[in-house]
Amino acid sequence: MIDIQEIKKLIPQRYPFLMLDKVIELDEGKSIKALKNVSINEAYFSGHFPDNPIFPGALTAEAMSQAACVLLKKSIPDLEATLFFVTNIKIRFSKPVVPGDRLYITIKTVKMTRMGGVFETEASVDNNTVAKGEMTFACK
Amino acid sequence: MAEVNNQILEQEIRAIVAEVTEIEPEKITLEASFVEQLGMDSMMALEILAAIEKKYKIQIPEAKLMEMKNLKESVKMTKEYLKED
Repeated sequence: MIDIQEIKKLIPQRYPFLMLDKVIELDEGKSIKALKNVSINEAYFSGHFPDNPIFPGALTAEAMSQAACVLLKKSIPDLEATLFFVTNIKIRFSKPVVPGDRLYITIKTVKMTRMGGVFETEASVDNNTVAKGEMTFACK
Repeated sequence: MAEVNNQILEQEIRAIVAEVTEIEPEKITLEASFVEQLGMDSMMALEILAAIEKKYKIQIPEAKLMEMKNLKESVKMTKEYLKED
């Protein structure tokens, strides 16, 4: 398990844009499973949407990208890169995510290199897939 | 895979390149330069490499990215690794 203190040492994102609470499983080079607890107290719910709080899909994609960064950093410990840029993303969103949901992010490596990686991504709530796709990002 | 059909391999890799670069397959000739003529960047090249690995269940080292200059070289490189299996 990787706690929030260690996550913060691995990726540069901070409040209000840190979209992971903890890492549950890690198989270096291969896969990672992380958790994002979705709470009504988060600011974006006041606008997305005023009478119908739904966790933005863009933030699910961000959580996936952050989990993939943690996987990359743990898999290549001497990686000097501190910045990560998503260069391609293809995700299908199948169910809305709402306050109270425990959003589990699972990332599997398709190809990982020092300059970036290609990953298969999936997000689930209560063992039901809510989003699934593939993303590529570059490290600098 | 004992016999690798060149033409099929070429068509399949052209389709991968077309999907990643969003360029019409007929514009992706054997000699067209990925970077100069097709506007490919390093991450697109990585995506193509990943897609080739996934499709043919092979592993190609990252260093080989430099050799993927055009479709011809990509097919040649894929063939080398298919033979090793």
